[in-house]
Amino acid sequence: MATELAAVPPPDTGDTGPLAPGTSFSLPRRFWNDYVFVKVRKAVFVVFVVANVTFFLGRAMPGDPIDVMAGRLTQGGMSMNEARAIAMNSLAYDVDAPLYQQWWDFFVGLVTLDLGSTINRPGLSVTEAIGAYLPWTLFSIGVGTLIAITLGLTLGMIMAYRRNKAIDHVLSVLASVLGAIPNYLIAMLLVVGGGMYLGWFNPIELRGTLSPGVESGFTLTFIGDAFYHAALPIITYVLAIIGTWMLVMKASTTEVLGEDYVTVARARGLRDRRIATAYVGRNAVLPLVAQIAISFGTLVGGAIFVEQVLVYKGVGGLLLDAVNYRDYPLLQGLLIIITSCVVIANLVSDLLYSRLDPRIQK
Amino acid sequence: MSPVNDLPATPDTDDGALLSVRGIDVGYRTGRKSHVIAAHEVSFDLHPGQSMALVGESGCGKTTLGLGLLRLLPRTGVIPRGQILFRRKDGVRVDVRTLEKEELRRFRWNEAAMVFQGAMNAFNPVLRVQDHFLDTFRAHENGRRRSRKEILEHSAELLEMVRLDPARVLTAFPHELSGGMRQRSLIALALALKPQLLILDEPTTALDLLTQRSIVERLTELREQLSFSMLFITHDLGLAAELADRVGTMYAGRLIETGTTRDIFHRARHPYTSALIDSVLPVVGDLRVPTPLPGGPPGLHTLPEGCPFAPRCAHALTDCATTRPALDVLTPRDRGLSHTAACLRSTDSELHAEGAPR
Repeated sequence: MATELAAVPPPDTGDTGPLAPGTSFSLPRRFWNDYVFVKVRKAVFVVFVVANVTFFLGRAMPGDPIDVMAGRLTQGGMSMNEARAIAMNSLAYDVDAPLYQQWWDFFVGLVTLDLGSTINRPGLSVTEAIGAYLPWTLFSIGVGTLIAITLGLTLGMIMAYRRNKAIDHVLSVLASVLGAIPNYLIAMLLVVGGGMYLGWFNPIELRGTLSPGVESGFTLTFIGDAFYHAALPIITYVLAIIGTWMLVMKASTTEVLGEDYVTVARARGLRDRRIATAYVGRNAVLPLVAQIAISFGTLVGGAIFVEQVLVYKGVGGLLLDAVNYRDYPLLQGLLIIITSCVVIANLVSDLLYSRLDPRIQK
Repeated sequence: MSPVNDLPATPDTDDGALLSVRGIDVGYRTGRKSHVIAAHEVSFDLHPGQSMALVGESGCGKTTLGLGLLRLLPRTGVIPRGQILFRRKDGVRVDVRTLEKEELRRFRWNEAAMVFQGAMNAFNPVLRVQDHFLDTFRAHENGRRRSRKEILEHSAELLEMVRLDPARVLTAFPHELSGGMRQRSLIALALALKPQLLILDEPTTALDLLTQRSIVERLTELREQLSFSMLFITHDLGLAAELADRVGTMYAGRLIETGTTRDIFHRARHPYTSALIDSVLPVVGDLRVPTPLPGGPPGLHTLPEGCPFAPRCAHALTDCATTRPALDVLTPRDRGLSHTAACLRSTDSELHAEGAPR
């Protein structure tokens, strides 16, 4: 055991080659130290910590769900004791249970994806509520991020190749301005400017996630309608983050353009297109991959405001409701799920990075 | 000792030279209309099979000149005048300075390849060595598309030429190779298209002595085998003496002395060349105290009116501060092997008496 302990490299560095002396070859050990598994392990740990924070924060706040529900019932003329009894019956939640018991139940529920029932929406479990709203948010943010990154990287590269030319100056100013406007302001500008003054679209009609009468399913009408209603949020998200991506990509590309291997590639007589993609582009994107997750996380946070402004029925409105009505189970569930989404985005970008950069891993 | 000053004004006659550099300036733009000249009025001829070393201190314009010859200067680089005549494999003589984009792309590596400093990361870190070979061959294909297998077999042969194990190196990423292996891989890559000219910019700098040794041996061997011409840029005089049959000394962006290796190392006529040689310890013979050359080269903006070396020169006359000497032919020879020097006292018998201590 002692030798095995000594053989385990520190988990973070992992720079010992495959034949480094003392490396254990046992299969479980290798799996444990596998790059992907290490990353997944860390992601799970982060979610665990966040779940704990939400759990204890919920309990540390004054009042509990029973009090809140009972309080609302008494407003209807019920006596406090009666109201408490009803509240305790309708909520699968025992206030008097010891904290460790609650903690255990909470985490068992979490693992089985049973996050309890909502307080404000009777008969609807937290999982169902989130399941009904989260996909729309992830859809609009996902598409927005994808478009913003694709466009931002392309424009950033053009700026770097044409630096100090007119196009670079124009795009730089545009990117700085866009980067400085908060996303909910962009949403307002879109609705007020594009919808009301210029009359390009009818903002009332665009509200919600689907037009009335459209059935969900894998049909062209459904997908088309989903995009139609998500257009404003998507445009908002694109405009909100594209500026940053342009500027960061410009800086990164400019740096790579000064690298020796680019000069050598030119000396080798490679075609400009090949140099721009495989030599400049790929290396310039590498340090930015980690920022995809950051971008995504920022957007999820900003979605609360944007969805409110654009009346898009995503998870943002749900979160606001949960806070307003002190729907603690829903709030807990939402925070955990939203954090998990960002953690997963982080994990994906980490794994993507290791695929793109051969110097990572091994 | 004829003072025939025909070098900078060579008429455009084809005397069989592979590369004829005619009075080129190479510089960098510093503003909308201004530029500094880092290599000034450089002229020389390189004949097939010759190996010429360009020596000088750091910042004397060697690398700028080397990059300029392939028009590989950074964005701000300019070649405001002169000609870079090159006889292509098809026998056509072209001026590299005015080649069009696509022609230039096809010219590079196929006619003239370049090996960069040993410390440089010449390989794209995210591509395997074999991808570099594939890219290079594919970029210079003429009509017939060779299969991947064919190219990789050819690449393996090239790597074997520089004594590398193709099985291990081809599939490796650059960071998995040592500096010496990377440098040898780059040499293999440089020879892939059988270029007529190989420009080497400090090929052994930043490599340890043993690796330097093996690189030099490989290059000597390869040159015998493949008979390409070489132009190498170095501040390592030992390397110059060993690999070159001709040497050109550069100072403040100017070629100030050219000649055969024998001319330069035994009968240097420019005080700067002598000083350069005196600052290096001899490997054989009596150990003398190396004489350092005080001061540094002048800035490009503040060149003295006369000889640029005059302020540091121990033998400067009053004329040296006002008259800029031209490159005079001291011993005329053909095939660009003439001994020339740009010094007012290059024929001064007092300074260059036979057997006089340098």
